[in-house]
Amino acid sequence: MTSREKVRRALRHEAGPVPVDFGSTGVTSLHVSCVAALRRHYGLPEHPVKVCEPFQMLGELEEDLLAALGSDCAGLSGRGTMFGFANEGWREWRAPWGQVVLVPEGFRPREMPSGDVFLFPAGDPAAPASGHLPAGGYFFDAIVRQPPLDEARLDPTENCEEFQPLAPADLVHWAAELDRVRGSDRAVHASLGGTSFGDIALVPAPFLRQPRGIRDVGEWYISLVERRPYVHAVFARQCEVALENLAVFAALAGDTVDVLCVCGTDFGTQSSQFCSPETFDELFAPYYRRINDWVHRHTGWRTFKHSCGAVRPLIDRFINVGFDILNPVQCSAKDMDPGRLKADFGDRIVFWGGGVDTQHTLPFGTPTEVRAQVTDRLRAFSPGGGFVFNTIHNVQARTPVANIVAMVDAIRDFNGRAA
Amino acid sequence: MPQLTDLTAAVAAGKRIDTVRITQELLAAGTGPQDIVERGLVPGMAIVGEQFKRNEIFVPEMLVAARAMKEALKLLEPLLASAGIRPKYTAIIGTVQGDLHDIGKNLISMMWRGANFAVIDLGTNVSPERYLAAAKEHNANLVGLSALLTTTMPAMKDTVRIIKAAGLTGTKIMIGGAPITQAFADEIGADGYAADAGTAVDIAKKLVGQAA
Repeated sequence: MTSREKVRRALRHEAGPVPVDFGSTGVTSLHVSCVAALRRHYGLPEHPVKVCEPFQMLGELEEDLLAALGSDCAGLSGRGTMFGFANEGWREWRAPWGQVVLVPEGFRPREMPSGDVFLFPAGDPAAPASGHLPAGGYFFDAIVRQPPLDEARLDPTENCEEFQPLAPADLVHWAAELDRVRGSDRAVHASLGGTSFGDIALVPAPFLRQPRGIRDVGEWYISLVERRPYVHAVFARQCEVALENLAVFAALAGDTVDVLCVCGTDFGTQSSQFCSPETFDELFAPYYRRINDWVHRHTGWRTFKHSCGAVRPLIDRFINVGFDILNPVQCSAKDMDPGRLKADFGDRIVFWGGGVDTQHTLPFGTPTEVRAQVTDRLRAFSPGGGFVFNTIHNVQARTPVANIVAMVDAIRDFNGRAA
Repeated sequence: MPQLTDLTAAVAAGKRIDTVRITQELLAAGTGPQDIVERGLVPGMAIVGEQFKRNEIFVPEMLVAARAMKEALKLLEPLLASAGIRPKYTAIIGTVQGDLHDIGKNLISMMWRGANFAVIDLGTNVSPERYLAAAKEHNANLVGLSALLTTTMPAMKDTVRIIKAAGLTGTKIMIGGAPITQAFADEIGADGYAADAGTAVDIAKKLVGQAA
């Protein structure tokens, strides 16, 4: 059975070997330092690893490492990065933790004597910095650049600058990306972009030189209750552009793609939700439904919803608006017990994640503890299909390589026993 | 004439314009600024905290209520300062070194302010030395440390160690953030842990000796 067949069976909720994803999206991958450590561990040629996502400093998983990890998925991502420069023109850079990595040409950091590193939108050092990696840190965070808010003059079009039709250069990029995976036996997971409604990581727009509109995180959340017509106007415009882009992309991609990563908006905190169910129904549901309906009417792709946190009270809603897949299934959050999730929702939504806790067990546990938890999760989520193994969100920097290897071995053993 | 209970209801509902108007009317009618804070605003924010704990309201509604409270405090703080009235307890808060995430930290800061703590917010990426200096300078009853990242949890441990080593006997340390647990708080010697912005007020009050 090919990797793609394994994934497709799982997506159809059919029993079989548990498929695995490492690295297909910006929310199912590993920090660049972990990628290098794994290459070393598996005896793969050592060379500077590409930082394929510079915000979270995720590393590229090349074919040899995907094979070593047993990953069944291949990822397709857009031309641009979170900082608005293209993922091309690679050169070496020594990261603050000492690792030499490859970064795109537009990655032009300002490195301060304090150890802080700043990045600029579209690689333009004349623009205000939009990313900050603090001294001693491993990840960038967005710098909020909120222009003064004048309620009387708020114009939703200012929050829509980033929603643009695919440019000719994007089409060339997507054609090349699709060619890269055609003929691969892995399931293909595409992150087209532009379909994340109100993703708080994108609200500050670190990719724009001078973002306008509502770009402050707190003000955006306030807008969900106080400025609903404004948010509706932004989402409506975003949805319109997204549907046009989806049609163009679908014509290029056809059945090469298996899964579309639709949205990374986090609705869960560790113990609650970021908004009420009523807010979800009124503000988000109509747009999710339009995107999911279009995908299901025009393609054979399954739609993927990422949301961290305690989202149990919203899972029925995710299903009702047409999402096929939930990620990262944060079992460490409130009311996210694996057995109960599987029993209550497992026949209606695919769990893509939930495999191991990246907040506690994977970074801080022992290999024995990792193996035990991974095996428990495989037992809980795998019966009857509907499960793709993935860590709960990206593997964080400083995670011991022995723990990652223990996880990979536990999956292999489980699938071996099941076969 | 509006009552203090009207102010409580306005804050709890996040009605900024009403909150400011009622505060002005109460002041004009001779109600003291301390009464307005303690018997009007603080009970309003306590309602917000309770509703948040029960999942009846969420982050946006809490932010809206806190903004209403802040607008009222802008009117009241100069009057309290000129009368020499300060909150009984002082808290320092910040996100630990290496970590720039502040949604949770800001919510706790607002809720502590709403419980009538004087809150000194050091922002994000705060070194252990800055926490200690601020705790000494303000004679803090409470220091709150926040972290979102697993990679910055060790900074929390260092901060607790440095503050404890300074022997500030009247200063309690409380920690929180997505990957933080009570077990981690116990392991690093923090005095308290709160899982959310609602319980953070209860724990803070307990730590400084007030009834929750």
